[in-house]
Amino acid sequence: MDESRMTSAVAQDDEATDRELIDQARSGQWDAQDTLARRHRQGAFVLALQMLGNRDDAMDVAQDAMLRFFTTLDSFNRDRRVQPWLFTIVRNQVRDLWRRRQRRPGDGLVDGEALAGQLVDSANPEADLQRQQLRKSVWRAVATLSETKREIIVLRDFHDLSYKDISDVLKIPIGTVMSRLHGARKQLKAKLEEGGPHV
Amino acid sequence: MSEPCGRTFDEALISGYVDGTLVQGDAQRVQIHLEDCASCRALVDEITSVRETTISSAFATPADHEWPAEAPRSTASRTARRLGWPVLAAWAILVAGVGLLEAWRDADDLLERLILVAGVSGLSLLFLSVLLDRLKARKSDRYNEVLK
Repeated sequence: MDESRMTSAVAQDDEATDRELIDQARSGQWDAQDTLARRHRQGAFVLALQMLGNRDDAMDVAQDAMLRFFTTLDSFNRDRRVQPWLFTIVRNQVRDLWRRRQRRPGDGLVDGEALAGQLVDSANPEADLQRQQLRKSVWRAVATLSETKREIIVLRDFHDLSYKDISDVLKIPIGTVMSRLHGARKQLKAKLEEGGPHV
Repeated sequence: MSEPCGRTFDEALISGYVDGTLVQGDAQRVQIHLEDCASCRALVDEITSVRETTISSAFATPADHEWPAEAPRSTASRTARRLGWPVLAAWAILVAGVGLLEAWRDADDLLERLILVAGVSGLSLLFLSVLLDRLKARKSDRYNEVLK
């Protein structure tokens, strides 16, 4: 396993905005395309990992999503945010993968141990041991949620997308985002209570 | 587990309250309710705590060398590609057209002409089939909305 990591906050190389980078990439500047890829591909990978629970599958999906990202760059509306667009592509790629394997969306459970095993220890693991155990418990519980509930939890409570962005990714009204998210959070709470005290 | 409460609002508003997405009126209603409802206060604390846990998590991600280098696509290469395909297609149509015309002229009897007509008809039908599939796929492309 490598030393790089993806936290909930998107790594920000604030020297150039996504919009500027898209303009530069469209005009053929390879560096801008490379910066865009580096900025967003880890988020795509982690979302795929959270939906699939398997590192190899997640890498395949993230690579395909990035390829799609760049092949459609010319027609992308630069006024929109890149992350929700890329996450929509990732979500569709994940569903395509399930379809190819003849799994129904409701069957999209992932291996909780495998997902929790992909968590990275904090900089001070001894001091943070209890917190890390808690994180593992929570992600094991997240893995047991249905794919519909899991995706909305990870989009909001890990990737920190706004309700508007979530509504764009999932193609549902903003009001539905809140109710679906709340239902998912309550189910997650119930799963955690089944698993014993955690907070 | 906390006791359920008789809420006077849609329970989903609690998630909106935690996320700070409610309009002022709804936020005030939730806030007033929370002052008197230990059950809902516990739910708010629980949701907040779990969210803090997930959002502070970090996952191992592939190192840079594990990602394939995206092929650079310069403006010149894109322009050349856009021009190249139509030119190639026009050339192929021209060559095929001239070839067919010559073959038609050189055909000695009806049978040879029928063979030519059958071949051209078959190819045309296959082309039409592919074209119709493409048009249908274009209409139902899930990325259309994303790209608008």
